[in-house]
Amino acid sequence: MFDIATDHAIGLLAALVALPVAALVLRFQQGWSAASGTVQAAAVLMATSGVVHLALIGHHIAQHPVTAALFLVNGLAFIGLAATVRWRRWRLASTALLVATILGYLFYIAVGLEGPDQVGVATKLIELVTLGLVLVPVRGEPAKSHRALRWTSLGVALPMLTVMTASTAWIVDLARPDPRHVHAGALLQATNALPTQEQQDAANRLYAETKAAILPYQDSRKALAAGYRPEGPSNMPSSHWMNQAYVDAGYVMDPRRPQGLVYANTKHGPVLLGAMFQMKNIGQFGPDPGGPLTAWHQHENICFTPFGFEFSLMTPFATCPLGAIDVSASPMLHVWIVDNPKGGPFAVDIDDEVVKKIARA
Amino acid sequence: MLQSMFWAIAGLSAMPFVLGGEFFILGLGVASLLFALIMFLVALGVLWRRRWARRCVIVVEIICLIGSLLLLALPIGANHGPVSLMTNVLLPVAVFVLLRKPREAFV
Repeated sequence: MFDIATDHAIGLLAALVALPVAALVLRFQQGWSAASGTVQAAAVLMATSGVVHLALIGHHIAQHPVTAALFLVNGLAFIGLAATVRWRRWRLASTALLVATILGYLFYIAVGLEGPDQVGVATKLIELVTLGLVLVPVRGEPAKSHRALRWTSLGVALPMLTVMTASTAWIVDLARPDPRHVHAGALLQATNALPTQEQQDAANRLYAETKAAILPYQDSRKALAAGYRPEGPSNMPSSHWMNQAYVDAGYVMDPRRPQGLVYANTKHGPVLLGAMFQMKNIGQFGPDPGGPLTAWHQHENICFTPFGFEFSLMTPFATCPLGAIDVSASPMLHVWIVDNPKGGPFAVDIDDEVVKKIARA
Repeated sequence: MLQSMFWAIAGLSAMPFVLGGEFFILGLGVASLLFALIMFLVALGVLWRRRWARRCVIVVEIICLIGSLLLLALPIGANHGPVSLMTNVLLPVAVFVLLRKPREAFV
């Protein structure tokens, strides 16, 4: 959702070109100067959205001809409406087209015909803004301009459509992440698909060396003595204990000096689950001796708050709760020394059931 | 109004994490929802051409813009995608432009 799909990048370029061109060209239509500023802005944005749809046809025509045809109709309709702001039924037609386009997109991503990406969400954002501009009443309109209905739509329907767009994009992204996103906010390192025998052996070696090196930290007092400190709330099933000196030193996948340890928080005290290697810089993935077995991951678009050192995820409209800021964590690789049947010893996450079982033991 | 919706969505987005045991996030989520409600009312104030509403929106947009530009400039891995730029930079700027009318237009 926070990436730009390769076949949609052209749409973004088209939008950047279309916006100033539309602002220049549309003013030559009849009645432009008499139109209100909101109508003019809506027309420019509709033309931009139309050009984005037209630009995407080329990449869809071979594999998805129906989608390409819909893009064509949609794009032409948007441009047509942008060029006819004097039409008596312009607001009604524009509202219908904008709502249909937004709902159509939500249907497409909900059933899996498209994945939500930055171009798609940005275009919907443009269309939501446009819808607001089309609906908002302006001074000096004729008496029969349905002002009450438009105010109601603006105050109720537009917020509902905005929330619906955000929640659909988010649910789809969480339910169907692409292959490089194991779950929302975690981007996997690109690797080969299947491990070779050498990669399998290297992963086994890394596992054995790391497990042997961190076993003494089963006694959490030794971890404290070595400089590891718990981070985040202690009421969570597990906690990361970080060693700031090792983070600052920038050791790269050194089994004797992992930057973090992960403990299950049990009523009998912390129980060691594994180690975490972390790179120093964002976007810099570490060495990957085990290929797909030891792929690093980077948490992106996290809303971090210093209050209680807690996290949530950024919304599709790129906002965080008040008091939280959007950050990314530099790439990391976990080594789980307890049995983790769902994901294996290098999985991004440890199975919740494993942690619960340990807590009960 | 759109911005207040975005803050409301941000507030709602925090709630699932409360179920996971992050209780400070609950406070932030509720604060975001309250802020969204206040900004919605302020937006109505702008529509009714109230001077206090214009002043309030300008202050909020300045804070938003400075915060967003800081996030973009600092090397903390903040999102620099088109949606983020539109929501956090272009939208506040657009609100500024829309409020550029002379102060006398507000009562």
